[in-house]
This record gives sequence, C-alpha cells and structure tokens, in this order.
Amino acid sequence: MHNKHSIKEMFFEHLTRFSAILVLFFLSAIFIVLIIKAYPAIHHFGFSFITEQKWAPNFELFGGLPAIYGSFISTLIAMLFAVPVAIGIAIFLSEISPKSLKAPMGVSIELLAAIPSVVYGMWGLFYLAPLMRDVFGGNGLGLFTAGLILAIMILPFISAITRDALNTTPKILKESAYALGATQWDVIKDIMIPYAKAGIVGSVILALGRAFGETMAVTFVMGNSHQIPNSIFAPATSIPSTLANEFSEVDSELYLSSLYFLALILFIISFIIIAFAKFYFLKNKRSRKIKK
Amino acid sequence: MATVDKINEEIDLEVKNFSFRYAGSETNSLKNVSLPIAKNKVTALIGPSGCGKTTLLRSLNRIHDLYHGNKYFGEIKFEGHNILDENEDLIHLRTRIGMIFQKPTAFPMSIYDNVAYGLKLQGVRDHKILDGKVAEALKGGALYDEVKNRLHDDADSLSGGQQQRLCIARAIAVEPEILLFDEPTSALDPISTIAIESLIKSLKDKVTIVIVTHNMQQAQRISDYTAFMYLGELIEFGKTSKIFSNPDEDLTKQYISGKFG
Amino acid sequence: MTSSTKRKIINKFVLSLSTIFAIIGVAFLFWILFVLLKNGFSALSVNMFVEDGAPPGTEGGGLRHAIVGQLILAVGATVLGVPIGILAGTFVREYGKKSQFADLIRDLSDIMMSAPSIVIGTFVYALLVAPTGGFSGYAGITALAIMMIPIILRTTDDMLGLVPNSLREAAIALGAPKYKMILDVVYLGARVGILTGILLGIARVAGETAPLLFTSFNSNFFETDLAEPIASLTVTMFNYATSPYEDWQSLGWGAALILAGFVLGLNILGRIWLSFHHITRKKILKKRKR
Repeated sequence: MHNKHSIKEMFFEHLTRFSAILVLFFLSAIFIVLIIKAYPAIHHFGFSFITEQKWAPNFELFGGLPAIYGSFISTLIAMLFAVPVAIGIAIFLSEISPKSLKAPMGVSIELLAAIPSVVYGMWGLFYLAPLMRDVFGGNGLGLFTAGLILAIMILPFISAITRDALNTTPKILKESAYALGATQWDVIKDIMIPYAKAGIVGSVILALGRAFGETMAVTFVMGNSHQIPNSIFAPATSIPSTLANEFSEVDSELYLSSLYFLALILFIISFIIIAFAKFYFLKNKRSRKIKK
Repeated sequence: MATVDKINEEIDLEVKNFSFRYAGSETNSLKNVSLPIAKNKVTALIGPSGCGKTTLLRSLNRIHDLYHGNKYFGEIKFEGHNILDENEDLIHLRTRIGMIFQKPTAFPMSIYDNVAYGLKLQGVRDHKILDGKVAEALKGGALYDEVKNRLHDDADSLSGGQQQRLCIARAIAVEPEILLFDEPTSALDPISTIAIESLIKSLKDKVTIVIVTHNMQQAQRISDYTAFMYLGELIEFGKTSKIFSNPDEDLTKQYISGKFG
Repeated sequence: MTSSTKRKIINKFVLSLSTIFAIIGVAFLFWILFVLLKNGFSALSVNMFVEDGAPPGTEGGGLRHAIVGQLILAVGATVLGVPIGILAGTFVREYGKKSQFADLIRDLSDIMMSAPSIVIGTFVYALLVAPTGGFSGYAGITALAIMMIPIILRTTDDMLGLVPNSLREAAIALGAPKYKMILDVVYLGARVGILTGILLGIARVAGETAPLLFTSFNSNFFETDLAEPIASLTVTMFNYATSPYEDWQSLGWGAALILAGFVLGLNILGRIWLSFHHITRKKILKKRKR
C-alpha cells in the first residue's frame, strides 16, 4: 500500500516537473529553430543584413533595415501618443472621475484591452486610413497610421495597470500631502506617481514590447513597401507585417531564411524588452508599506 | 449640557456650535460642539472610539473636504474668521494648520526632500535657504543628529519612530501656527512614544497643539487642557489637572476611572 | 501667495488636460466599438451561420466554415495546452515553490506570454508545416496551444496560491500523500479560479491571427480534417477585409463581431464568475510569488 502511493507520488511529481520543463523547452526550441532556419541568411549576408536597405526577392537580395526601421518608428509613434493619454486616463479614473463613473469606465477599458488586435487593424484600414489620407495626403497608409492604431490598441493596457498602481497609494499618504497644503496635482505628481512608478514603468515597457511585436493591428495599414519611407505618411513595412505578408509566398530557400532572420531579430528584441520590464518591476517591487 | 470651563488664555481656534455629517450618513457624527483651543498650549481630545474626537480634529484643517459630500455646520474661528467658509483657501489654511497622522507617512523620497516638500510647495527654491530650514526643522523634530549624515537616503530606511519624527519635522518646516496630532504614537513602541511625547511638549513654545489620543496617561502627561467627548458630543472641557482629578460630569469620572471605553 | 496661485492654476490646467486626454482616448475606443457593432450587425444574417465561403460576387456565402474552424482550433488548443499548463502551474506552486527553478519557469512563462505571436507561427511552420509539406489544423492547434500553456500556468500558479495552507495541512494530517492532497483537496479548492483562467485563456488565443497565418492557413471550405488547412474567423477576417470585394468586406465585419462577441463574452463571464466567488485581483497579487 505504502509502496503503491510512493510510486504514484513520484509519477505525479515528475509529470508536473516535466510539464514545467516544457515551457523552458519551447522557449529554447523557438530560439534554436529560428537560428537554424535563419542560418543560411546569416551566413550569406552577415550583419550587413541589418543595415542593408534593398529587399528584392527576384534578385535574391534581402536587407532587413526597412522592416526593422518600420518596427522601431511605428512603436515610437505609438508610445508617444499612448503614454501621455493612458496616464491621463489613469489619473482621471483614479482621482478626477465622479465615483459613479469609475467602475463602468474602468471595466470597459479593461474589456477593450481584450478585443483582438485584428479588429483594431480592420478599423484602421476602413476608418483611420481614409481619415489620415484626407488630413495628411498620400494614400493614408504608413508608419503614422500604424503607430496611431498601435497606440489605441495598447491604451487600455497601460491605463488599466497605471490606474491599479496609482490606486495602491495609501490614503493616509495622500492626506499627509494635502495636510501640507498640496494641490491635487501636487499629490499626483509628488506622491502617487513616485509611489506607483514601478507599476507604471513596468506596464509601459510591456506595452512597448507588445506594440513592437504586434502583427495584425499594423499589417492592414503599413502599405507593405520595402524601403525606408521619406515620410511617416508614406507606405512602409515592419518585421511582423513583412512576415505576415510574405511568409507563405516564398519561392526560395534564401528568401525563407531571410524571413527567419527577421523573425529572429524580432524575437531577440522582444525578449530583451520583456525581460527588461520584468527585471525593472522585480527590482522596484520592494513594497513601500506604511510601517506599523 | 456640556461643562465647558472658561479659560484664561489667548484663544487660537474657537469651535462654536459645530456639527459634522459624513457623506451618505443620516445623522450628525458631531453634535453642537463648542470649545476653545488655547494658543501655545496642548489640548487633548479624549474619549472612547467612535466618540468623534478624530472627526473633530480632521475638521480643524478641513481634510474631510478630500471626500465629496461631507458637511460642516456651525463655526470654527481662526484669527477672527470662520474657516468653514466656502471660499476658504484650503491650501493656505493647511500650511498654517499642520497635521500628524496615526501612522508615519514618509513620502517616497529622500529624508531631505520629505522635510523640504512643504517649503518647495510654497515656492522656496533657494538651496541655501532650504538647507538651513531643513536642518532647523529636523532639529526641531529631534531627528537631526540621527540623520545628518544621510539626508539623501530614502526616508523608507528610517525606523517607525524616526519616520514619525520626520513627519513632525516636515510639518514644522513650514512654520504652522497650529499642529494637529491624530494618535501619533498608536503605531509606535514605548521608547519612540516617549521621544514623541517630549517632542510635543517642547514644541508648544512655538505652536498650538491639538492631540487626539486613546491613551489617558498620555493626555495627562503632555496636555494642558483636555476635552472629553462621547457619542459625538463634548461632555467636558477644562484644565487637564482638573479633568483627571476632579471632573464635574459623572460620565467623565466613569471614563477616566476606566469604567468604559 | 503668488506660488500658491500659480500652483492652483497649474493644478486646474493639468487636471483638465488629463480629463481631455481621457475623453479623447475613450472616444477613440468607443469609435472602434461603435464601428464594430454597426458594421457587424448590418452584416449579420442567418445565412452567415449556415453557409460556407463563396467566391466574391456570387449569391450567398457565409462564415460557417470559419466559425466551425475557429471552434475546432480553440477546442484543440485547449485540449492540448490546458493539461500541460495546469500540471506545470502545479509544479511551480506545489513542488517548486520559491526555488530558483520555479522562478525561472515563471519568468520564462511571462516572457513567452508577451512574445510576438507571429514568431510562434514561424516556429510551428518550421516544425510541422515545412516537413509535412502542408498547412494543417494540427499546426494551428499546436501554435495556439504553445501560446496557451504559459497563460494557464500562471493562472494555475495564482489560483493554487489562494488555497489556504490549512486545507493542505488538514489533508496531510489525515494521512493523504501529497499527490492525493493536490488532486483531491487543492484542485477542488482552486477549481473556480482555474476554470475561469481556462475561459480567459481560450478568449486570449481565440483572438490570435498571426500564429495561424502560416500554420492552419485558411480555407474557403467547410473542413473538419485536422490534416488539412482550416479556416478561422481571424484569418478569414484578414483575408476578407483586405480583399477588394464589398460582400467579402461585409462578411469580414460579421466575423469581427462574432469574434469580439465571443472573446468579450468569455471575459465578462469569467469576471462575473470570479467576483461571484470573491476572487479579486488584489487577493491574487498578494499571494504572487513572483
């Protein structure tokens, strides 16, 4: 009887351990497979792949710079719009909004964070791009439009986490600042934001990672043009949208390998961004509890 | 009717027929309270929990205004005008009437910045002036010697007792006329409590002090005047020595002899 | 009192600015929601649920193939990903606890959860599509399952953390071996949380398009053979929306509405269920190990 239990015990523990190791396995496997598949391109182009601008499948010429550039610039535009607006929403939700509005507005923002990104992309194609075309000219496709959609997509995410972080500021701490003659804004910027800094910065970096790796929200409106655009209102591309548009249509090994090279670059950059967010969050987690 | 002894002192704050109602409540939490607060003296507010002593204290700098729907009735006179007036400049009022809370409330910044915070709010930017005032306030808060070599450390690194003295230094840095203490030692160990009590006694040369305490020995040790409150009403106000030795009201007698509370 | 006046003006200004930002942000979000509802409902019809894909311009044509395909993919990913996720979550909370290895698995899960989903698509392509020579439902299911495992792992970890230790001790005190304690007592105590976590996990992967683009690919036909390419609502949306045909675009909006309704419905259901059982974010975060 005892023996039977210990065998089952061992079996169960090892089964759970094996499942946990699968996570490690998948992550390493993704990395290794990407490297193996990208190897022909790495070997053929070397690091000049990153700086080369020409992307001409017909001539077996592949340069990653336009896609890398597009990813960075669209993400930058997204962050420029999203961060101030999201923090504004969070401040509104935690400090300004009347009580009756807080819960419904807060919940709808959290739910909007769950809407699939492909829906944001479709809206962008049919509504935002025409608007951009009318306002800024061109065909409405490009890095600016893509960045704007990304901004709207990550807005709920940053707002919700920032609001939660702001709400963790102890009431008594806020009262002490008011008792010194602080205004509401003084309290927000001097007490609440410093108190919630780890959460805010962590969520912003995570959102940055999401925007950088996002495919569907941007692919609709990038314009799919493999050159560094001379304007953010001109067609461009990004790493994920290059992959989405071209992956299933490749006709040569070097072409496929170059796409894997791009995927590898995307994976490494995202990995660094997310790991950094995690590291930052952990380092600053040291909770500031009011001493009892 | 409450027994309110006439006092022969300069009056700093005068609470007159004051009532208070919390948002959403149907009854007043404070009922028609009247008492004087003597200048440069320590006035203790005592009474069982729920008696309204903290509610009264938090009315004196109108911190209740942070939450919508709270209502004040009556008058609280400070230098001849009613601070309950709708047009009262609360920011200015709170720089003149400071407050210390139940728990230490060090801000998430350095020791120096904590003390300088109120001054910076008032627009003091000159580093020499700030340095001088911060040092002076820390000395006034009996903390200077312990922290003078690490002014730029995070305030979180201080012990609970040190943090509470930091909060006192922060409050006195802006040179208020009145300081309100809301059970300032309830979260502290006995040694820190003694330090805070002697600090309070030394402060009254410069400021008027109102302190809420649940500890009757503490009220006896540090206060000049004592107000005993019960169920939102002021029962008795007078010299501390008299309240604790020979009160007029039976209820006061019962409370100080530990019959309830 | 110039400083005080200045501060009051700044205060008013910044608070108004933040209110304006909030209004702008929320206006955009509601614009999207409005557009989705308007176009989605005007595209919605009974035919949509009973007919399969049709060439553009021809009468009829629906989304039955994509809805069924989507369900097959979601169910497949759940069957594959959930057990692994739960077991792995059990490991980090019940066996690994605060060990470095358990923390490493937690960190890696978080990284995998936020990794670009299209990369997972390229990975599964290399693993299952290129060697077999064709897109398949299996490949799509695998890609979604890989995305699901870390999500389920973290929820299981969190939810097991909410089970009070006294329950574990009581089971052990009765002479139950550890695996019995976990299977009979701990899982029972955490079942609401874990089930909700599964719902939210399904909602999360159901909205994914990128990992399916070159795994399950797409199909305009009703398909239940997992060895064949299978349609999904998300990829269908992408293809229809980017097509020049108005009837396809309209079907795309219909697909968007069904998808968003499905995802939001699961989310709302999960929230109600959790709050019904008094499981709050606050409680979960308090028990978080990392």
